[in-house]
Amino acid sequence: MGLVAFATGKILSSFSVFLFLTILLLVVSRRFSTSVMLFSVQSAIIAAEAFATGFRERLAAAYVVAALIVLIKVIAIPCAFFGLANHLKTSSDMKASTTPTQSVFIAAAMIYLSYAAVQSYGLSVHVPDDALAAPVALILTGAFLMVSRNKALMQMLGLLVLENGIFLAALTTTFGMPLIIEIGVFFDILIGLLLMGIFAFRIRDTFDHLDVSKLRRLRG
Amino acid sequence: MKTAINIIQALLLILGAPLVRGIVARCKAFLQRRQGASIFRPYSDLAKLFRKEDLLPPTASIVFRFVPFLLFGTTICVAAFVPLVQPSALLASRGDFFLFVYLLAMGRFFLSLGGFDGGSAFGGMGASREALISSLAEAPFLLSFVALAILASHADIAGIVSWTQQQNIFNISAVHMLAFTSLAMVVIAETGRMPVDNPTTHLELTMIHEGMVLEYSGPRLALIEWASAVKLHSMLALLVALFFPWGMASSLSVGGIFLALPLYGAKVSVLMVLLAVIESGMAKLRMYLVPDFLGVASAVSALAVIFTMLDKR
Amino acid sequence: MILLAPLLIALLGALVVLGFRNHQVATRAALLITGLEIASLMVIIRQVHERGVLQVGRYLRVDGLSSFFLINIAFISGLVLVYASGYMRHPGEGRFTSPRWFYALVFLFLFTMISVCLSANLGLMWIMMEGTTLASALLVGFYNTKGAVEAGWKYLMVCTVGIAFALFGTIVLYLAAVKAGMNPDTALDWAALMEALPRMGFDSHLVKLAFVFVIVGYGTKIGFVPMHSWLPDAHAEAPTPVSALLSAVLLNCAMYAVMRYDAIVSHAVGAAFPHTLLLIFGVMSMVVAGLLILVQRNLKRLMAYSSIEHMGIVAIGLGLGGPLGLFGALLHIFNHSVGKSLLFFSAGNIRENFGTLRMDRVTGMARTLPQTSVALVVGSLAIVGLPPFSLFVSEFAILSEAFSQRRYTVAVLFLAVLSVVFGGFTYYLLRMLCGDDPKSAPANGRLLPSEYSVMGIAGICLLFFGVRIPHIFTVIIQDAMAVLR
Repeated sequence: MGLVAFATGKILSSFSVFLFLTILLLVVSRRFSTSVMLFSVQSAIIAAEAFATGFRERLAAAYVVAALIVLIKVIAIPCAFFGLANHLKTSSDMKASTTPTQSVFIAAAMIYLSYAAVQSYGLSVHVPDDALAAPVALILTGAFLMVSRNKALMQMLGLLVLENGIFLAALTTTFGMPLIIEIGVFFDILIGLLLMGIFAFRIRDTFDHLDVSKLRRLRG
Repeated sequence: MKTAINIIQALLLILGAPLVRGIVARCKAFLQRRQGASIFRPYSDLAKLFRKEDLLPPTASIVFRFVPFLLFGTTICVAAFVPLVQPSALLASRGDFFLFVYLLAMGRFFLSLGGFDGGSAFGGMGASREALISSLAEAPFLLSFVALAILASHADIAGIVSWTQQQNIFNISAVHMLAFTSLAMVVIAETGRMPVDNPTTHLELTMIHEGMVLEYSGPRLALIEWASAVKLHSMLALLVALFFPWGMASSLSVGGIFLALPLYGAKVSVLMVLLAVIESGMAKLRMYLVPDFLGVASAVSALAVIFTMLDKR
Repeated sequence: MILLAPLLIALLGALVVLGFRNHQVATRAALLITGLEIASLMVIIRQVHERGVLQVGRYLRVDGLSSFFLINIAFISGLVLVYASGYMRHPGEGRFTSPRWFYALVFLFLFTMISVCLSANLGLMWIMMEGTTLASALLVGFYNTKGAVEAGWKYLMVCTVGIAFALFGTIVLYLAAVKAGMNPDTALDWAALMEALPRMGFDSHLVKLAFVFVIVGYGTKIGFVPMHSWLPDAHAEAPTPVSALLSAVLLNCAMYAVMRYDAIVSHAVGAAFPHTLLLIFGVMSMVVAGLLILVQRNLKRLMAYSSIEHMGIVAIGLGLGGPLGLFGALLHIFNHSVGKSLLFFSAGNIRENFGTLRMDRVTGMARTLPQTSVALVVGSLAIVGLPPFSLFVSEFAILSEAFSQRRYTVAVLFLAVLSVVFGGFTYYLLRMLCGDDPKSAPANGRLLPSEYSVMGIAGICLLFFGVRIPHIFTVIIQDAMAVLR
């Protein structure tokens, strides 16, 4: 038991470092499969954090949430993404609008911004700065991925990273919202992804490509 | 006593370098489901080369003749900087990391000159590519060191290593993680490994390091090959020393030294296997993508420096 | 218990109507279910009027404000579904375009919107708000054309991101509540928050941060500038009944959510901060949308921008506060939904007869489509705020509040934008009504009974409310205002 307590303590204090690493690798990855694997790893880290929080604070709800994250975000959603990519038969190369170097510099700027943004709130919430900056950085990264990637599938992934960030913010500050609400949020995300998958198929069928930067017929 | 151990460290680095190369090649062969040559093959290669005749191109100047010796000399000096079994080395307290980086740069500079001087087209091509890569790799190399030095408040490698050794192994620091990523990418670029350069290629148009040494033969070629092996060993040992120095003997006890040696062996083996996995798993980057690769390394190391301001760990 | 009725009717109705493969039977079933739905909503509204507050369990609650929005939902959904029964009589090509799928999706959509108005818990409200986006995305992309698919994708993406920001705001508010000492289980319950706020001190930084994210997030669903990019596309490419539902009901539900948060934040940190934000967003939306109306080519896009402008006006009314401003805002919500529905119905008929919604290709309407022209004229005059139509009354109330609070910039901008919009609408209207007969004469200028009956009801309502607001309605609005106080 001492080992578990020690491990959870270390997880809680250093998970944000690993999350920053996944952020940096996400913005430079050029293949869709790498991005999905990184998202899976990211969700696994967040699930470990939820598990550690449940252990430390003795909250059964956190355990349930951790299990849900593992089931849905670490296993189910990446499998669905791979299946979707296979069915859509798209090329695996991301057409990003920024080069990897620019992306990493932007990611570095975003990480710095997130630290700067949480400076004033860290004291009032009794949470170390890292644990607050990581969710904000995830949110910014998700937004950046949605904006800079041109493929519909990558926009969905960016949205998921954004939701990861918001979810992590809830976890570190308030140890999670009431369980019913968390489950409702999960369902919403799942159905949202289902709908986006349907739309991705429709886009591919009507436009013959998945490049959303070329969807510019409606303007003005 | 300390000096003796430092000399033994340096000798280990220099003499063990071909073995490191052999082990990496054997791991790659294993991953690619080949038999592979024996791990002591580089030694027999060097011995063979020392016995062969030394031919010089008719157009070569004095630079061409002295480059191998200069390269070997600077690389030996670099090897003297790296601590193996204790947080000190021959030159580790005499010069700081700037000297380390620029000794390597000096060796590379002369190698490039020799490549031009050889008179072959591929030499010039390899030399110019090497110039691009090394100039881009300089920034992340220095910045990673700078990040570590800021944390340790020491600019010499021995100081950084002993500071790191005193930290708790489980406090994973963001700065170290970022600096390790960046430095690992630099090591790949500096030592001419995949995905930046293929050390086993025989297609001259894709050569970078090999292109520069095409015209050398005999003992001179042996010295150059040995120098590049020493460079690989030193940089791997540097990664181990800077980021995973626990296990080094901080006191001068013989028992501590004897314990630290196999521990070092284990750590550097892990790195060698990792290198083999990366080399086998990634395709060589096309030349115009190498600046992106090193740009990412620069950004990561810049972030490491920024992080030293953010969390004082 | 009665609170569960509209929810169950809508949900089960969606499943039931999917079972009917015959179009006529499905349509009739849909109309029946709509009737049941409206009846149950009326019962609830009446009970709330008598008893004040109805609550079921921890998550469903109806008070004066919710019942006002329920009236809105009931009335407009009734009109829209009757209209749709005639409009959607031609099934499209493709797999999911038969009327039964349409009605099923519409009932799901109604289910989520009613749940937003019925939820007592801010978290549940968020979940159902996201649900409205998901339920209506397939409706927006219903016709499967290139434009519809693009509009649907943009709608889904932009609104989901916006709602995610609203989730962040909800979390920050939850954090502030828990930190101030509230029980975590009830920290998201609106009534509990309103009750606890005067007693406990909430961290004002956190509450302000929460409101900023909430207004950006839910403001995306309302269509505030600069988060409005999805709105013109979605409202233009959706089938006409869906456009009416989106403009007239969904935007109001999102405004309802913002009103709930506004009440909480005003009680926590004073009314100045949230009201200033509402004023800023309101004025921006009104001005930008009003100006963009001048350069539109598609009739439904024109109406979508008009919706953005009117939501801006409602936000200005809320931001001004005061009894007259709040009254005007609430009344305007209702009036705008009626007027916008009328406009969309006429647009639907234009599309059916002319085959296009491009205003430059529609000419000589007064001769060929007399009934639709009347409806279009009535709707446009109402929407730009002319008396004797009802929007004049609500806009006048908001304007008088602006003047009485000496906010002359707001009032002047308001009047300027109204004039600009009046000019734009008149120009396009005259161009469409007058002029030579079009090359392709419309097929059949007559309206179906389903169509002209609802258009007639809407027009009469606009006129009636413009002349004299029924007393019962005034009382309902005052009940709603009392909730927010």
